[in-house]
Amino acid sequence: MKVQSKSYKFWRVILYVVLIALAVLMLIPFAWMLSASLKLDKDVFIFPIKWIPENPRWQNYIDIWTKIPMAKFVMNTAKLTVIVTCLQLLTSSFAAYAFAKLDFKHKNLLFMAYISTIAMPWQVYMVPQFIMMRGMGMNDTHMAIICLQAFSAFGVFMMRQFYQGIPDELCEAARIDGMSEYKIYSKIMLPLSKPALSTLTIFTFVATWNDFLGPMIYLKTEAKKTLQIGLRMFISQYSSEYGLIMAASVLSLIPVLIVFLSLQKYFVEGIAATGVKG
Amino acid sequence: MAFNNMANQKNVDPEKVKEKLARLEPQLLALQEELKKTSEKGKRDRLIRKIEDTQGKIKQAKTGERFSRQAKRDLVAYSFIAPNFIGFCVFTLIPIIFAFVLAFAEWDGNNTIKFVALNNFIAAFKNDRFLSSLKNTIIYCIGTVPLTLVCALGLAVILNQKVKCRNFFRTVSFFPYVASLVAVAAVWNMLFSPQKSGPVNMILYNLGVAAKSLPKWSADKDWVMFTVVLFSVWKNMGYYMVIYLAGLQGINAELYEACSLDGANTWQKFLYITWPQLQPTTFFVTIMLTINCFKVYDIVYMLAGGSNGVLNKSAIVLVYHIYEEAFRNWNLGYASAVAMVLFLMVLAVTLIQFRGEKKYAN
Amino acid sequence: MKKRLLGLTLACSMVVMSLAGCSGGSGTETTAASAAETTKAAETTSAAGGTAETTAAPAAEGDTVLKWAVWDIAATVYYQPLIDAFEAANPGVKIEMVDLGSTDYQTVLATELTGSGSDFDIVAVKDVPGYMTLVNKGVLEPLDDYIAKDSVDLAQYGGIADQLNINGNIFELPFIRSFWVLFYNKDVFDNAGVEYPTNDMTFEQYDALARSVTNTTPGEEVYGTHYHTWRSTVQLFGILDGKNTIVDGTYDFLKPYYEMILAQQEDGVCQDYATLKTSSLHYSGAFAQGNVAMLNMGSWFIPTLIEKIKTGEYGPEVANWGLVKYPHAEGVEPGTTLAQITSVAIPTSAPHKDQAWEFVKFVTGAEGAEIVANTGNFPAVTTDAVIEAISSIEGFPQDEASAEALNTVQTYLEMPVHEKSSEIETVLNEAHDNIMTEGSSIDEGIEEMNAGVQAILGQ
Repeated sequence: MKVQSKSYKFWRVILYVVLIALAVLMLIPFAWMLSASLKLDKDVFIFPIKWIPENPRWQNYIDIWTKIPMAKFVMNTAKLTVIVTCLQLLTSSFAAYAFAKLDFKHKNLLFMAYISTIAMPWQVYMVPQFIMMRGMGMNDTHMAIICLQAFSAFGVFMMRQFYQGIPDELCEAARIDGMSEYKIYSKIMLPLSKPALSTLTIFTFVATWNDFLGPMIYLKTEAKKTLQIGLRMFISQYSSEYGLIMAASVLSLIPVLIVFLSLQKYFVEGIAATGVKG
Repeated sequence: MAFNNMANQKNVDPEKVKEKLARLEPQLLALQEELKKTSEKGKRDRLIRKIEDTQGKIKQAKTGERFSRQAKRDLVAYSFIAPNFIGFCVFTLIPIIFAFVLAFAEWDGNNTIKFVALNNFIAAFKNDRFLSSLKNTIIYCIGTVPLTLVCALGLAVILNQKVKCRNFFRTVSFFPYVASLVAVAAVWNMLFSPQKSGPVNMILYNLGVAAKSLPKWSADKDWVMFTVVLFSVWKNMGYYMVIYLAGLQGINAELYEACSLDGANTWQKFLYITWPQLQPTTFFVTIMLTINCFKVYDIVYMLAGGSNGVLNKSAIVLVYHIYEEAFRNWNLGYASAVAMVLFLMVLAVTLIQFRGEKKYAN
Repeated sequence: MKKRLLGLTLACSMVVMSLAGCSGGSGTETTAASAAETTKAAETTSAAGGTAETTAAPAAEGDTVLKWAVWDIAATVYYQPLIDAFEAANPGVKIEMVDLGSTDYQTVLATELTGSGSDFDIVAVKDVPGYMTLVNKGVLEPLDDYIAKDSVDLAQYGGIADQLNINGNIFELPFIRSFWVLFYNKDVFDNAGVEYPTNDMTFEQYDALARSVTNTTPGEEVYGTHYHTWRSTVQLFGILDGKNTIVDGTYDFLKPYYEMILAQQEDGVCQDYATLKTSSLHYSGAFAQGNVAMLNMGSWFIPTLIEKIKTGEYGPEVANWGLVKYPHAEGVEPGTTLAQITSVAIPTSAPHKDQAWEFVKFVTGAEGAEIVANTGNFPAVTTDAVIEAISSIEGFPQDEASAEALNTVQTYLEMPVHEKSSEIETVLNEAHDNIMTEGSSIDEGIEEMNAGVQAILGQ
């Protein structure tokens, strides 16, 4: 027993060394962003890099609020992101339940239709889509972005995979008890799929928050633009103000991290104290 | 619920019920006779399904419900799908179908659409840039998919245990995925700077590689795809780790306990419990990873595009080729045709994996 | 759980419904409503302390509102003065700018003009390949009838208008023109004890000068010259003699220039192309370090440089700069250089074409040119008054040579108008990259260009 615990300790140390090395590697971009956000535009890409700028330029963090209507952009992005994420969660988990646990005509056909569209790069149908949406009067509206993002096949596919991991017997038993499918969905499936829902929330949130090309094509009025377009406004034809871009990028990471951290706790549910060891 | 009320309305005309039964019952008998005669498996299955169907109809006629049980089940299922599917149909499926049609046409967005049959496809396979992009995309997929899968799974398994600062490590792994691509690409190109003084080249130089033959990484036509693959694994493994983490939560802890009692070691536990239990997740991750690899373009563009943002034949990928043809040259028909090729490849891979999943489920 | 979910659903559907309500109106209503919205946006901008002053006065009842597609409203100083002057001269017409962003401007603009639903009256066109794209799509109105009607003198553009002619029609008129000059840092030359560059240098003299100021001692490097990673910085040396163009299909004339620059790269006279490419270092950042003696770049860099030195972003190491004419091949008149133009055009779908033409005529004409010059930028119409206006801006180098450098005798378009210009561009870029990273030899690279472009031309 003692020998085992000794080797256990050894592996533990190795594990931490690897983890810390990985963490450093993962954090370098962030360190770079921070360092660049405190620099003048001309110093950002100088090689070899100076990690700590001599005169940190905190002014960048003030300038981003005054050079463009940043507050307005943040509001727009937040609004779009929240609406899209809610819609996506609701409709995807709803549809995924049918694909995972119900039997119905044309199920496989419909499902393949969903998945195969994921494979289509957006660039291909962007133009027909734009012409169609403009015909529907949605050019330069937030509605366009919501419609683009909220009904993705990705969400349905992901939720279906997780529902499949939940034993069918649970649903069968509930059906015998006379529960309607809607009840089974809300009383049994939803509470069980918290990790999956959290994952989908994080992904949708990140995707909408960082989306650039969609808003770029559809939103033209300044008052409607989003944060990512705002970031590109620091890149003009003959110069790009990377110091400001990075300052804004650092700030725009904060909401994403908050969402990630607050949903993390759902990743530990369901696993009992024993867990997987080593 | 509205559906139930509607479905339960009684059909009050007994005459019609009789009429229906008189028609359905002989049908059922005939089918059952036929079933006895046939021995071929596929045919039997089909007959059995037909019999069940007719039985359902008879039952429906007897009880007088407007919808058969199967129809009712379908309706409920469709009601689940509808909210997502309608939005999806209008905003994604219709434009995609339009793009499919375009693949056989010539169109620049303004002048009239001219149908050209397979000319776009023929032009594509004669185009150097298309062939290079096809080759690079496949190389990229083969390099990235397995590597990312292994790294993501490994990371998820490690970070699913009780380690100190677990939340910190998880968040950090997710970082390269959410950090701005400009920053991530800049850091990567800095680490892999083509100069002798670049960190990675410095190591290689000290290991004895001659200064002249040090790779120029993303500026080197022989090394650029390698650099891109490494970069992509590093950037995306956190993303797939999150999916795996969520999948790991679904594994029943009792399984591990039972296994421990049998004296299994860590590796055996992984092999006999974690891995099989993660099959649906792995299936999902593989498909998404493959699709995303086929669709890669922004990473390559940021790493190897340089200041004029044009990818060379050594680094061009399919979606970039689609992009340049669609928006630089406005050959929307040709771009759609290339997308069709991409689509067919992804579909093939997906179908193979689906078959694998079904086999596993059996 | 269920209650919370229900609440969420309700909240969501309410938001969606209210949004649908908003969008239903704004799409179909005419310009008046969106004009009011832009005004609101402008107010938010200025309230937040923004530099941009967009639409100044709200459109009054009965005014015609022209929509003008542009990029970088906030960073571009000449849009608003042009609009103000035009509106003052044409009561009843208002111009409203729509910012499509700089990075993907041509893509967004072309998408916007696809189909027939666009309501832009005037569009700014960024460059020649973008012009070609729009002409090929058939979305630009030919301007010849208007030009003939108002007898506009195309000679005022110094030969550039002829180069914009496609099959006998002209679809845009230039209002901004940039041309290439040689920037230099006087302090670097003083430190090395070398004479400043002059307005009349052959390529041999230029090469020798660059080498004479170079210092390769590690830690105190001085680069004699700097080439940005663009293909134009090298290849365009070759077309200054007017004997070859970049769309001919044979590129052997580029060989001496590649030889010169690769040798410079090898000897540390200029920074390594591969490093510049991967590090995304902008030429302005390189020049601002103060260890670059000469930089060949477009005149668009002049206002930027003046501005950044004024605000103190660029330190004393570059404050003492000057400019001279582009170096030239033996037997070519100094002042021969390359130009890039920004133009305005009218889409075929424009709702108010006649008023739009009035605006185009104004912006591209002599009056517009003076307004542009007063902001420190180069208009397409270059008169003595224009050069006077620019060289007297505060921060412009005081020596005579720098003012003299602004006189050009012959300018060629960086990329001539050609039906296949964007395909040709792709081939040339790739070969340039291969040569400069030493992935292929000069001969192989040139062979690659010859074969690739001839294949495109032969189609």
